[in-house]
Amino acid sequence: MHLPDGFLSPQLTLPALAVAVPLAAWGARRHFGREAAEALPVMGTLTALAFVIQTIMIPVPGGTSTHLVGVTLLALLFGPLAAFVCEGLVLLMQALFFGAGGVTVWGVNALAMGLVGPLAGWLAWRLLRRLSPRVALFIAGWLSTQVATLAVAGVLALQHRLDPLLFPVEPAVTLAAMMVPSLTVAGVVEGLYTVFAYSLVRRANLRGVPT
Amino acid sequence: MASRPDPRADRRLLLAWLVAIFVLSAVRDPRWLAGAGLLAALGFRRGLQATLRRTLRSVVPVTAGLSLASLGWVRLVSGGWPPLEPFLALGLRAAVIGLLTFAVLARVDLLAALAPFPLLTRLLVVTLAQVHALRLLSTESQEGLRSRLPRRPGPLDLLRGAGGITAMLFTLATRNARDISDAMRSRGF
Repeated sequence: MHLPDGFLSPQLTLPALAVAVPLAAWGARRHFGREAAEALPVMGTLTALAFVIQTIMIPVPGGTSTHLVGVTLLALLFGPLAAFVCEGLVLLMQALFFGAGGVTVWGVNALAMGLVGPLAGWLAWRLLRRLSPRVALFIAGWLSTQVATLAVAGVLALQHRLDPLLFPVEPAVTLAAMMVPSLTVAGVVEGLYTVFAYSLVRRANLRGVPT
Repeated sequence: MASRPDPRADRRLLLAWLVAIFVLSAVRDPRWLAGAGLLAALGFRRGLQATLRRTLRSVVPVTAGLSLASLGWVRLVSGGWPPLEPFLALGLRAAVIGLLTFAVLARVDLLAALAPFPLLTRLLVVTLAQVHALRLLSTESQEGLRSRLPRRPGPLDLLRGAGGITAMLFTLATRNARDISDAMRSRGF
């Protein structure tokens, strides 16, 4: 799902970085300060789990690729801002140590997959958890993937509109190619993963996880 | 990752690399991109073979595959072939940025360059340790499953064993992460 370097011009990557970097710095200060020492190991483990999950990628024609994100779980446990910082770290590690994704597109990827998607999932979970916790968890995971994918496809469409020579794929093609695997496969598996992993973390009753 | 004695030199190289990849991300002409690739190859001759191999393995197949799939898709939808130059530029741009990234990252000690940011270093170390631990534990659990079955385990066997194994992996990884985090905190990170 996340974009590699070279797909977007600085017209889009620089404004995204201008939003994402201060937000990540603020989030890190808020969630990873001295008082957050208890939560850091669990967050590190869940971030590592998200990292491992995201390395399994399925390329899709006309867009980029699709995969699970695993960050919705962090948003539900620690809040959307903590999820954004953790996903930012996952993307940075992928770009710097493993050559996946990219550094110029870090802001766009982090905002789409770390903030917009998990925020939508977190809101859905807050709205629906009283009706049925398991259904709310599944919908949160599923919706988070759809919103994140839609955001990435939207940015690619905007790049095509701004400069078709830089990103030559038609927006309709990108949208269809990215959303179909996301709606049918990635979203469903992300929903199931969120239900399973959330129940596991709650049952384990780990130190540092807010109740 | 080769270590260099001066973290300030590493930070300068990282800064120059950042500027270069942002500039390259705006270049649309394949000739300019090919020239930039050649310059990068000449500038980072030491270990070039390994860098090229890494770029070819990780960046080129994805971008080339996506470009080819996109071309096919456009042909299917519109009935005609789109101009090839933008697709060529897209592939070249990603490859040159990848080449430059791998060449620079092989020359800097990233953790030393991050030394002024202790909290980021702590989180990075905890997370990287867990990535390796999770990979190792998952390989070991698959080996264990394989040894318990008289045949090669299929997707259903893996799925059946996944619940218990994931719970164990997660508990072990969290305990391990807590130990690392406490050890780093006691050393001033």
